[in-house]
Amino acid sequence: MTTFTRRWLLSAALLAAPVALADGPVSVQADVVFASTTPGKVDPSLVKMQETLAAKVKYLTLEKRSSEKLAVTNKGITVSLPNGKAAALSLEGLKDGVATLRVKLPPADATYSLAKDKSFYLQGGAHEGGELWLVLSQPR
Amino acid sequence: MKNPAREKFLPLLSPYVDGELTPEERQQVDQHLQLNKESAAQVADFRAGDGLMRNALEMQADDVDWKQFTDDVMARITPEKLPLFERLKLTFSELFTYQRGPMVAGLVGAVAAVAIAIPLTLSIAGRAPEGYGAGKVEVQTVSVDTEAAVKPVVFETESGDAVIWVVDAPEKKDGGRKKGGGSDEEDVAPTPPDEAKKQDL
Repeated sequence: MTTFTRRWLLSAALLAAPVALADGPVSVQADVVFASTTPGKVDPSLVKMQETLAAKVKYLTLEKRSSEKLAVTNKGITVSLPNGKAAALSLEGLKDGVATLRVKLPPADATYSLAKDKSFYLQGGAHEGGELWLVLSQPR
Repeated sequence: MKNPAREKFLPLLSPYVDGELTPEERQQVDQHLQLNKESAAQVADFRAGDGLMRNALEMQADDVDWKQFTDDVMARITPEKLPLFERLKLTFSELFTYQRGPMVAGLVGAVAAVAIAIPLTLSIAGRAPEGYGAGKVEVQTVSVDTEAAVKPVVFETESGDAVIWVVDAPEKKDGGRKKGGGSDEEDVAPTPPDEAKKQDL
């Protein structure tokens, strides 16, 4: 490999790095949770969610229906819910180490900033006498 | 005619030749040999006999192939194995004695590497993943479909989480809202829990 080629490759890598970093992706843990006020089982990993939502509704049943780790980019990615709805996640921006995500789960459309060890809960509509929640958090 | 001195030294002549006398006895025998030719001749005979015997034995030994004997002996010899601690102690002792420079340089390098690696590892372990630099989740905008008879209720907890409830809003038919966008976001008052629950269920 000639010196010229090496320099060219190095320059290309250095120029491409910021572009690649700007596009993400950002890892997001996406859980779909079924919640009901009917007495039932509460998934141990959802006790924190139960306590958080208790300010509004005391859910007595919390079951994780799906859980996946997503790589979210500005091109977007979809999470399907068992009630037929689909949540579209996309990366709006990444500034100073803080990513902003856009979540479209009809009828709601929200943007929020991610935080370390924190969760974002979005109500996803009725399902089987209860409700579905989309829980987005930092991957474990 | 008997020589009393010779009678006295006669038993010492053979040990004298074999080198078994004390230095004092040897000195006395040397003086006696200078004065007594008969004893000196006998010592010479002893030495000559020893030489002949040595030569005869060496000739016999030359006829034997000792190579196999040596190999057999060496094969049976197992070096004494020191305990682990002793071996390590010996190894480090030799290294610091004969390889002091490289050893000191290596130790300094290792200490420097550890000093750099530990804070770096702790820093990486405690660092938030890419995109999770904030301390709490912050909802920036939220809206609902213009045709939907619902409204969003944003609830940010003290622990840093954020919840968006979508509650019925029969009176609202004019579309969505944006937080801080000059729209009716400020109207999005948290619905009482019981009310929200009733509306959704």
